[in-house]
Amino acid sequence: MKLADDPEVEEFRAQFSAFLDARLPTEAEARERSHSSAHVPDWARRWQRTLFEHGWLLPGQPPEYGGRGATLPQQLAHLEELARRRIYHSFNPQGLGIIAASLLTFGTEEQKTRWAVPILRAEITAALGMSEPEAGSDLASLRTRAVLDGDTFTVNGQKIWTSGAHDADVLLTFVRTDPGAPKHKGISALLIPTAAEGVVRRPFGSIAAEDDHDFNEVFLTDVRVPRENLVGPLNAGWRVANGSLGHERTLLWLSYAERLQDLVRDAGDAGAGQEWYATLLMDLTALRLLGHRQLGPNRNAAEISVLKLLGSEAVQSASLHALEAHGADALAHPARTGPYHHMHHEDFVSSWFERYARSFAGTIAGGTSEIQRNIIAERILGLPR
Amino acid sequence: MEFELDEEQRMLRRTVRETVAKVRPQPEDRQWETYRSLGWLEAPPLELALILEELGYAADPTPFLATATWFAPLTGRLPEGSGTAVFDGVGRYVLEADRADEVALLTKGGVTVVPGADLGAQRVGILDPHVHVAHVDAQALSAGVPDLALTGLAATAVGACRRVLDLVLAHVKQRTQFGQVLGSFQAVKHKAADMHVAVERARALTHFSALTIAEDDPRRTKAAHMAKAAAGECQRLVFRHGLQLFGAMGFTWENELQLHLKRAQACDLLLGTASAHRKALLTA
Repeated sequence: MKLADDPEVEEFRAQFSAFLDARLPTEAEARERSHSSAHVPDWARRWQRTLFEHGWLLPGQPPEYGGRGATLPQQLAHLEELARRRIYHSFNPQGLGIIAASLLTFGTEEQKTRWAVPILRAEITAALGMSEPEAGSDLASLRTRAVLDGDTFTVNGQKIWTSGAHDADVLLTFVRTDPGAPKHKGISALLIPTAAEGVVRRPFGSIAAEDDHDFNEVFLTDVRVPRENLVGPLNAGWRVANGSLGHERTLLWLSYAERLQDLVRDAGDAGAGQEWYATLLMDLTALRLLGHRQLGPNRNAAEISVLKLLGSEAVQSASLHALEAHGADALAHPARTGPYHHMHHEDFVSSWFERYARSFAGTIAGGTSEIQRNIIAERILGLPR
Repeated sequence: MEFELDEEQRMLRRTVRETVAKVRPQPEDRQWETYRSLGWLEAPPLELALILEELGYAADPTPFLATATWFAPLTGRLPEGSGTAVFDGVGRYVLEADRADEVALLTKGGVTVVPGADLGAQRVGILDPHVHVAHVDAQALSAGVPDLALTGLAATAVGACRRVLDLVLAHVKQRTQFGQVLGSFQAVKHKAADMHVAVERARALTHFSALTIAEDDPRRTKAAHMAKAAAGECQRLVFRHGLQLFGAMGFTWENELQLHLKRAQACDLLLGTASAHRKALLTA
């Protein structure tokens, strides 16, 4: 145990920092803002491509996929440096972190070239089709059906909460291919281009605003998908899904640390002398410490649930305290509650109400807090299922 | 930063666990002699935190905590026999003051060490029967608590909380009601999960505190307040859920649960509760 980073991590951080100093888009270049998690303005596409070409997009990958074979502590340093400067490396975070990453793990060489690389180079954007109206926490009960006839799947069903689908070029979609098998064993993963006939996307507003369009309903009616778009083996989709959510999950806690750090900054005046502000500082420190422990060789996949639960609930609790500390002023909406940064599109026009409401994304999406508690109780503490 | 115990530290923890389990049933002075002879009192901060967590886990009755984390950091040495210290200028509820061989008094003029027998300290009965505290008539003392004293209490509390959680887990895995083990009910699982997260959070901050002391990092005082506050918060949750989940059985003297609940609570109440340390963190 030691406080300092290893020299090769320091060196790596310094290199990346120098790269950012030299290559970061200027405020004038980056005027157009992204309006969904799969809408990437032209300047942001150029930025992502620059990162790709210099091996700073996904540093853990080899150079042909936008990386430089970095170690896990180095990957953490990369994300920390981006967070510290409030920079996004991609404005299509799921396309990069989940879909492209899944293709690099489970895809064929042809799929990597045809889909993963264009997503990484921001030539196309991607969204993730998992949840359905009747399959949320119980994802494995999904019912969207794909029937294989010859070399073509025919897909029928509905997805929901598909972030950015209306702006995406392709959906990584989980479908039922064997209705006779136990529910986890009859699922497959398919790449479905959104331009395909029979794909209808309907974006709908979030709690924050009627025109805040990121969520979508996606209706799939007799959509024909070539067999070559199957990712991973037939009926092995559950493994791909776990791998998909597993990608970057080791470092997922960092997004909560980033939000806690934002709250430390933005709620400093309201929190002066308040015990909840001390709790916020402690939660942030504890999350970072436990996250660093996950970098070592003794990491345990179920421990990620501890980090998610701790991080997401800390964000929610501190957001509520900040909301309350602002009293009636917190009603103003939209309101400027954080500093403007041209490479960071959150918070600066979000009211305290919006920030509190959005904190529920952390305790609901990607496995609710209740599911995380079950995982901790069953897989760490050994209580019966 | 590297935040994982190395092989040597993990081995130390295993050794300590085994030794404490073996020694704990022996008479109290034999336990104390064993710990002294093993050199554990001289362990550096992080190793000391690991040892204290295990002693906390075992409801240790010896003067180890006060000797290692109250007396030693003030005087820079170990006492002849056992030791403690008076930091807060009031001299109330001082760990081990009734039986420590040497007592360090932190005054504006520096540290003065007096023989424990000279203080005329009176032991005060408290809820944890194995924790010795006494009121001392100490005048003209200035305030100031060493970081290590806070870390030591935090580590002890973490150990006691871990023990409570282990006892609760064993209980809910074997007790059956309505034809089902208690641990299969989600209301039970969720409380257990929250206890686990609280222990992990407090333990991480305690290790961090010990690490900042070991490296004399400028964040050490803040870290000590965080550790003490987090251990206190953890204690509050683990006490509430732990006693609740154990049901009526935990409400008896015969069941050892009470011992560990009290140790955890004592560690919170001594040298300032969680709330006091949250406030102190903001001005440290």
